[in-house]
Amino acid sequence: MRVDPERTLTRPPKTVGMVPRRAPVGEDGTVHTAYENGTGPARPAWRATPRPPLVRQRQGKVIAGVAAGLAEHLGVPVVAVRVALVLTSIPLGAGLAVYVFLWATMREVGDVDPGVAAGPNGSMGPGAPVAGTAAGGAAGTTSTTTGVRHHVDLASLRTWLRSGNQAVVITLLGVGALAVAGALWLGSAGFDVHAEVMLPVVAIVIGAIFFWSQLDDTDTLGARRPVRWIWLLVGLALTILGLVGLLVRGTNVTELWQVAGAVLAALVGVAVLSAPWILRLWSNLRVEQAARIRATERADIAAHLHDSVLQTLALIQRQSGDSATVARLARAQERQLRSYLYDEDARAGTLGAALTAAMGEVEDLHGVPVQLVVTGDRPMDEHLDALVKAVREATWNAVRHASPPVSTYVEVGPDAVEAFVRDHGAGFDLDTVPDDRAGVRESIIGRMERHGGTARIRRRPDGTEVELRLPVRQPQSPEQPSPGPSAAGPPSPPSPPSPPSTPSTPSTPSSTPSGTPSSTPSGTPSSTPTGTVATPDPQTQEQAS
Amino acid sequence: MTDPRTIRIVIVDDHHMFRTGVRAELTSLAATPRAGAFTLEIAGEAGAVESAVQAITEQRPDVVLLDVHLPGGDGHGGADVIRACAGVQSTADVPVRFLALSVSDAAEDVIAVIRAGARGYVTKTISAEELLTAIGRVADGDAVFSPRLAGFVLDAFGATAGEVAEIDEELDRLSAREREVMRLIARGYQYKEVAKELFISVKTVETHVSSVLRKLQLSSRHELTAWAMGRRLL
Repeated sequence: MRVDPERTLTRPPKTVGMVPRRAPVGEDGTVHTAYENGTGPARPAWRATPRPPLVRQRQGKVIAGVAAGLAEHLGVPVVAVRVALVLTSIPLGAGLAVYVFLWATMREVGDVDPGVAAGPNGSMGPGAPVAGTAAGGAAGTTSTTTGVRHHVDLASLRTWLRSGNQAVVITLLGVGALAVAGALWLGSAGFDVHAEVMLPVVAIVIGAIFFWSQLDDTDTLGARRPVRWIWLLVGLALTILGLVGLLVRGTNVTELWQVAGAVLAALVGVAVLSAPWILRLWSNLRVEQAARIRATERADIAAHLHDSVLQTLALIQRQSGDSATVARLARAQERQLRSYLYDEDARAGTLGAALTAAMGEVEDLHGVPVQLVVTGDRPMDEHLDALVKAVREATWNAVRHASPPVSTYVEVGPDAVEAFVRDHGAGFDLDTVPDDRAGVRESIIGRMERHGGTARIRRRPDGTEVELRLPVRQPQSPEQPSPGPSAAGPPSPPSPPSPPSTPSTPSTPSSTPSGTPSSTPSGTPSSTPTGTVATPDPQTQEQAS
Repeated sequence: MTDPRTIRIVIVDDHHMFRTGVRAELTSLAATPRAGAFTLEIAGEAGAVESAVQAITEQRPDVVLLDVHLPGGDGHGGADVIRACAGVQSTADVPVRFLALSVSDAAEDVIAVIRAGARGYVTKTISAEELLTAIGRVADGDAVFSPRLAGFVLDAFGATAGEVAEIDEELDRLSAREREVMRLIARGYQYKEVAKELFISVKTVETHVSSVLRKLQLSSRHELTAWAMGRRLL
């Protein structure tokens, strides 16, 4: 029934459930419509792929990710961009101005996996660019010390930079070096360098950098990372000091106090006057954000309902005479809606997911509901795949030949995966099944034995139960207790070989109250390691069908 | 058979259609003679937390069929009803028993009502006969476990990993016998089939299940608690 392949493809694996579905807006905020859909104007021949959007990168950034983003956008090496920026910064600071302008205007890239972003990433790593920036910006004054540190403990420097406020620190180094270099250059060129002018200006610039650097740590939308207030305060203090120093130079101390008092009074007055406005703006912003989030969620749910439930209801109305079809449609829709609403755990590639999919397939084919319960879970491998196929075959048999309720229970234990498929039919006799019917003998018993497992079929007074057991290697976790008691589950004793010809139960169901194994495996010891992936199983959640 | 007892129930569900359907099914089925029969009297219906509490305190039924998701209250649906009705006794002067009934199979819904005090949990896809049996069982003070709930219990108590209680009173683990019973219920066995399989009486099965229910409600087992805390259930 799923008619929207786009969702299945673009929904990220971690965000199953009520998380808003990705709109056709890319994760960077740009709308990909024309080129991707092929409906827009013809793509220019010289460009194989559309140009990536101009956003600041979080990965491989040194200061604020401007150079990395620019390089990504222009399709040139990031080193070239950095060198160009540094070179143009040296004479008159043009590169620096461009950098600051771009930093203020470029948006930061969307969510990036922090594990990826924090990892050391080869040539994009911070080591080389650090040396480049420092050496270029410092014009030789600080390059020696940086170079030494660069060689001595690159790793610790890297982690320190990653952990701390690296942007601020590096920018400070750059600005300080630039200021010193500029002063030296001006001085040597014969200009009169006024220290009482230069120092406040440098203080203002540094303070502004401190202050504005915190902008990068706060997202205006949604998740707010904590602001480092100390940096804000330091930046504010430095800027004010610089401004005051710049304005009051040449006046004496008593006037200075008066000026300071006046400035303070003016600031307080402005703050008091503007506070209600700012608060109003802030609360409006919050309300607007909340409304937008709600609207997004609502649109997402509406889209889902339209794609799935409404379509199914329309189908049901059209085929309301055919009760079997209606039941099948309703059941399939129920299952899909259920997984949309409740399946929070993304467990792609696990046994539980495979079983859920297989049972859904069986339900869709025959319209008989199957109750699936899975306890524990583990990653899939080829042997478990065989088990899933065998379970599917057994369930299929049950829904075809027996009567509901059909229940499937799979228990992932520490040393074996056990599966039970139970129905309420009259049962069947393995001997009476013709040889050309490969279902039970080949698809269930044979398949299990080929993968080192066992299968047996018990006929009970009120139904048949197929028991499958597949030994698996225990996950390597130290706290696992000894698997003694769990082996006491369904005893599946390996006894005489040649399973297909084993004598089976009498054909009257009521005469065997507790069932007799009608087929036993051909002596595959259950202790045989089957080479499963020895990954520790982290999740033991109940699986919903 | 000479003195068929009467079980009075209140149906709480916010879907009127569902209430009507359950009422019709149960009354028609309870009217037909069965073994171990009891007469069923539907004493009231409610569609929200507040009206449910009012109906239960007024009618003092034996069993409440309780939907997990209900409007009103503190937003916890059925669990709010159970908490608000704590201490209410039926006309027979035993505590009112709650049987949770929901379309949701989500573990957090199941565990929330069970830990609030429900005696059992069945999904709405249950057949009318099974529902009637479950009502009778809950009225007797026993517990009703669906296969899925049994599966969750096995998971949450680490029973699939082979953890077994040394003494039965241990709250954080299942005893070997309880584990066997839970496994069979998860496999879709009825109580009487479990009893036959394990060569014990149905009453013993019910005792084991009630004991598991007690552990589920009282245990502070790490997985259970951490899991519930993560969803702000406790």
